Amino acid sequence: MKEIVVPGDKVDGKVESYVFREGNNAYSMVLGVMDKKEGYDKIVPLNGKYFPQVEDYVIGVVTDVKRGGYVLDINSPYDAFLASRRRYDSGAVIFAKVGDVSEVRSVSLTMDKQLYDGELMEIMAVKVPRVIGKKNSMVMLITEKTKTDIYVGRNGRIWLKGGDIEKAKRAVLKIEMEAHTDGLTDRITEFLK
Amino acid sequence: MELIKNGKRIDGRKFDELRPIKIEVGVLKRADGSCFMEWGKNKVLAAVYGPRECFPKHTQNSYKAKLTYRYNMAPFSVDDRKRPGPDRRSTEISKVSREALEKVIFLEYFPRTAINVFVEVLQADAGTRCVALTAASIALADAGIPMRDVIVACAAGKVEDEIVLDLCQEEDNFGSADLPVAISPRTGQIHLMQMDGILDEEEFKKAFDMATKGCLEVHEMQKKALREKYEKIGEVYGNE
Amino acid sequence: METSEIVWEIKKDSIRKMIQSGKRSDGRALDEYRKMEFLENYIPKAQGSCLVKLGDTQVLVGIKMDVGEPYADSSDRGNLSTSCELVPLASPDFSAGPPGEESIETARVVDRGIRESKMIDFEKLCITEGEKVWTVLVDIHVLDHDGNLIDAASIAGVKALLDAYLPKIEDGKVLYTERGDKLSVREKPVSSTFASIGGKNLLDPSYEEERVMDSKFIIVTTEDGKICAMQKSGSGPYNRRDIEEMVETAIRRGKEVRKQF
Repeated sequence: MKEIVVPGDKVDGKVESYVFREGNNAYSMVLGVMDKKEGYDKIVPLNGKYFPQVEDYVIGVVTDVKRGGYVLDINSPYDAFLASRRRYDSGAVIFAKVGDVSEVRSVSLTMDKQLYDGELMEIMAVKVPRVIGKKNSMVMLITEKTKTDIYVGRNGRIWLKGGDIEKAKRAVLKIEMEAHTDGLTDRITEFLK
Repeated sequence: MELIKNGKRIDGRKFDELRPIKIEVGVLKRADGSCFMEWGKNKVLAAVYGPRECFPKHTQNSYKAKLTYRYNMAPFSVDDRKRPGPDRRSTEISKVSREALEKVIFLEYFPRTAINVFVEVLQADAGTRCVALTAASIALADAGIPMRDVIVACAAGKVEDEIVLDLCQEEDNFGSADLPVAISPRTGQIHLMQMDGILDEEEFKKAFDMATKGCLEVHEMQKKALREKYEKIGEVYGNE
Repeated sequence: METSEIVWEIKKDSIRKMIQSGKRSDGRALDEYRKMEFLENYIPKAQGSCLVKLGDTQVLVGIKMDVGEPYADSSDRGNLSTSCELVPLASPDFSAGPPGEESIETARVVDRGIRESKMIDFEKLCITEGEKVWTVLVDIHVLDHDGNLIDAASIAGVKALLDAYLPKIEDGKVLYTERGDKLSVREKPVSSTFASIGGKNLLDPSYEEERVMDSKFIIVTTEDGKICAMQKSGSGPYNRRDIEEMVETAIRRGKEVRKQF
């Protein structure tokens, strides 16, 4: 049984993310699910916007062209800047890595790659890890069964191309809806048959 | 009008009894977080957008998110139809409510953004500012906004010669004091307090105690409602 | 889950393409309303009220009655006044402030549908000729915007009026909290809004469809199949045949909606 925590609930001192400490105690910052796995506890938020973290792979869309680079919308309250010599038009869909996040949350992207054609969908950023799965297992399962090319951005954006794209999209939406439950992998496997 | 008769209040409640409360979490599609509350005859809808880009840009704060709180009453929410738009009372309530949340939300995590809280009173029956703030807290949690606690508000007052909890409209109209309070249940700290009427020191302490107890009772309902929303999905799709 | 502005631009083309082939993203036919739900007497303190859910759009209408002086040219008749608030919690695009043109247009189109259909018997709203009459105040409060606010508001307004009552008058005093006579109504206008997308006209547009549309056309029809209000809203032009087709659809679909009243 997964436990739901609300902001202010006391949690085990070993939990690292989404907690704040007062005195000797740790408390949850968010409404989330307490995931007890392999000897360590983790809080998985049930909602929230995407906040860029270094090393995240994201899917951005070019909104502005500046000197030496581009401004990208990364589905976050914060825009991102991509310094690149490649030529992109406004509206180009780019898969890139978050290289740096400054104190005022200015985001720099790197290792850009343009994604052509295909369809873009958006889900809650907090659900993305479930879509990816342990060691990419979930996204590989969808690709295998639908033959759809899929790029998953940690910022909640997913790019799909080819194959049974409608089925792939529905599978992603199903994962988003049921992300915090157990037995999801089996249900998705069943769904994709 | 007899407000207190045989130890019971005009609506049959005991002195320290809350009105019936119903809470629904996540009732709106467009908002990032939302909560609908029925508290006695009050019907209040709270919604949160954010953190989102802060416009106009010159109002952005480089160190933290800008928090706004807008308390608004629908024209049909009160007995005498209210003209649409903010009035002085709504403006004051919005200010003290925003201030109640400012040290609870981790605003410093989201520099340059805005967090906007909107509360609509759809039907009013006294204590709306408490219902509004209580619902807003839930909506903020529903939106995934990090906070130190889910704060809660409740009022106590004086009716005839008794200190009572959670005044209804008749008691508010004909009573002699009203004390709305918002607390962080975890720390016991007070984040909102207002008072109008006349209370001596003893009466004030009694009312303060009563309002605080009421807050803690309502807080249990807040937590239950938040948990239930997600537990329900778990039930349908299987939990071990 | 809010879709960002920029992704809308990208989605526009694929949504328009889909509509060209006669398909809507929620699987509806081009002339089909979304599921409609009515929560009657939602605000018991008001003299009438109804919350309408049209798909995910939610609009609440409250009716208040007020006593006042009649207008000089209608000394034996009561009045109707309709207003609309697009409160910021309903959509990230709405901001606080005085009513803008969308809010005012919504109120006025809903008002026309009620007024021109002769739904309210204004003569029955006269208390003392030349001195005291009832004014019916219809207040539209939009709570969740997933498209087609006008139909949702109009349907909620009509339903609220159908169940509304006048406050009691005792010894010349109005007792707002006591129920008097039922409001005398004699029509049930139904509003039908069509979004024009690539030459196709879609009934009851969702928010997504409104984002990509060229224009909007609203037709309000009465019980006996007549038209009592119309509005072209938006800049895209129409041709005559399309308008006549929409009229035919509005009358037909209007009858079905009216059955739910």
